[in-house]
Amino acid sequence: MQLDSKMIKLNQDVPTRDQAIRMAGQLLVDGGCVEPGYIDSMIARNNDVSTYMGNFIAIPHGTDEGKKHIKKTGISVVQIPMGVDFSNPDDDTEQLVTVVFGIAGLNNEHLNLLSQIAIFCSDVSNVAKLADAQTPEEVIDLLKEVGK
Amino acid sequence: MVQSKNSSSLKVKVQKFGTALSGMIMPNIGAIIAWGLTAAIFMTPNGWFPNAQINKLVQPMLIYLLPLLIGYTGGRMIHEDRGAVIGAIATLGVIVGTKQPMFLGAMIMGPLSGWLLKKLDDAFQDRIISGFEMIYNNFSLGILGMILAIFAYFVINPIMMWGSYWASVGVDAIIRVHLLPLANIIIEPAKVLFLNNAIGNGILVPLGIQQASEVGKSVLFLMESNPGPGLGILLAFMLFGKGSSKSSAPGAAIIEFFGGVHEIYFPYVLMKPALIIAAICGGITGTALFTMFNGGLKAAASPGSILAILLVSAKGSYLGNIIGVAGAAVVSFIIAAIILKRDKGEGDLAAKQKEMESMKAESKGQQMPSEQTAQDSVKSYADIKKVIFACDAGMGSSAMGASLLRDKFKKAGIDISVTNTAVRNLKDEQGLLVVTQAELADRALQKTPNAMHVSVGNFLNSPKYDTIVANLKALTQVSDRPKEAKKEKTAGSIEGIDFNKIKEIDFIRHDQHVGSATMARSLFEDGLKKAGKSEPVKALKINELSDDDARLVIVTPAAKKNLVVRYSDIQVVVVDDLLQDNKLQEIINKLN
Repeated sequence: MQLDSKMIKLNQDVPTRDQAIRMAGQLLVDGGCVEPGYIDSMIARNNDVSTYMGNFIAIPHGTDEGKKHIKKTGISVVQIPMGVDFSNPDDDTEQLVTVVFGIAGLNNEHLNLLSQIAIFCSDVSNVAKLADAQTPEEVIDLLKEVGK
Repeated sequence: MVQSKNSSSLKVKVQKFGTALSGMIMPNIGAIIAWGLTAAIFMTPNGWFPNAQINKLVQPMLIYLLPLLIGYTGGRMIHEDRGAVIGAIATLGVIVGTKQPMFLGAMIMGPLSGWLLKKLDDAFQDRIISGFEMIYNNFSLGILGMILAIFAYFVINPIMMWGSYWASVGVDAIIRVHLLPLANIIIEPAKVLFLNNAIGNGILVPLGIQQASEVGKSVLFLMESNPGPGLGILLAFMLFGKGSSKSSAPGAAIIEFFGGVHEIYFPYVLMKPALIIAAICGGITGTALFTMFNGGLKAAASPGSILAILLVSAKGSYLGNIIGVAGAAVVSFIIAAIILKRDKGEGDLAAKQKEMESMKAESKGQQMPSEQTAQDSVKSYADIKKVIFACDAGMGSSAMGASLLRDKFKKAGIDISVTNTAVRNLKDEQGLLVVTQAELADRALQKTPNAMHVSVGNFLNSPKYDTIVANLKALTQVSDRPKEAKKEKTAGSIEGIDFNKIKEIDFIRHDQHVGSATMARSLFEDGLKKAGKSEPVKALKINELSDDDARLVIVTPAAKKNLVVRYSDIQVVVVDDLLQDNKLQEIINKLN
């Protein structure tokens, strides 16, 4: 599978992590990947176990039960240049996130792309490139570099 | 005991093979008992209550049900549900056209088909066009299943027929010349090394079922399950033992005789290895008496307690079976008593039990929890066969972590599989390393108490990955430490900066560099905090700055041009990379 430029939203400014997750989830809904119920399960999953991955990246996705809302595999991208804190409210360590990948995965079809994202983002300088990207195509091209 | 590395790894190999064989049988013991009881009660004309109609169940259960279940279980051991289904399909190829129960054939075809399907899946999984997964899944299994069933029918089936013909000729010959008892010379020591299930379920039970299907009963079922030798040894301890071994022996004897849990007497033998002679002589006597007095069981006695043995005894074999068990107990008692009386030294039972625990752990291919200390970590890493990342749904974070580690393994030349799954799907296995998020560590530990566990806070950039890689690599390549990936950047000059004046550090958010400035600010602040410093760090737009030499502005070469046009007093450091440049650490060190 590949990223769809329609599911990439750049230069967003959101105050809370829940809004960031909802935005990533809404892109999945608009892209015909999930039913709206999936978004709540993304929020629930993040409250249960954080989807903050380190390196300014979060990959919100649904819980196990949320899988029933998935219609097809898809990954959305929300770029938040000013950053948003993904830590728990009662936690004083900051978990700043600049790029959010919303994930809906069926039958492991998303794993190749996700693994590219992981390898690319394990270098924080690459994340900076994603956080500075000016067009959706730039994001797609950046992730294509992996493995070349 | 086995101490040297070579023999212990041989033991591990033998044990693994045995575990795999008994792993296919163990889950299906219930089905074997169902068949055994049906046959014992209703078989015409030899059963207790012969019934020609119910008797019709007996043959299909034996010929079809049991081998199919074993093939199914064998396939599942290799490749989950898909392996199980194809294992059953392929096993049918071995079954069709024979009148023998194809247990060994099932034990070959089940895992083999599961393995082949797994290889096929591995090869094609990446190339499936999205949307065609179900079609691929069903047809690949169906087509490969058909091919394997045909292969099994034409190739494995004749081999099995030939093999079991000669095996039965061999067993027959041993029985006819009254040599069968000699097999106990091997069986008894193997039992004490906790190979009892492997031998019993892996070898004797399948051969026994075949024999029982021909003549209605088999002595082979009794050879491992006979509680006589263990009972004799424990009775000897009751009378001639000392200290804790004497006082604990009566309870152990009851568990051995009525509960059939052989493991209970193994530590007593380990305490005084010479007692193995008592066990062997008891076993030989038992088997000899079973053969002589026409003993035998209709089905496997599991567990090997006197009650289970009587329950599945063939009609007319009760006397022989009782004489055999009793004889074995008497002989092993006498020999054990002689050994115990001659040797006055008191063994320390507690210590031996500990030794047994660790042997048992070793023989099951697991590590003792106490060995998971940092000191022994390399030893534990030596056992790792695969790595599983676990998260809540198995969809996102664990998949990311797994692909990163897989990538690192590949670069380091480590050939260990890395997969991901949901925590609730974790299975306790041998040689497993489980990586989880810290929040899930407890749940993962509950599911897999015998695995090694590593929990990470940061899936993308955890130093623990490098620890894992380094530990695993240390096993294959001595002293080849992974090179630091840090690129040596030209240590640019930060000379000319007056660090005493600086009150604030700024990163610039300009047109194309908003996100990276946000990140750079956060990382720099972390760095300061770690160094115990607290200057404010800000990410600002270029027009938000004030021209003041208390500001240290860190910029990329592109941003510097704009900066020098507007401001003259601020202090500027140019870096190639806002996040990872060596100069950043230097600045942190030099700040007050």
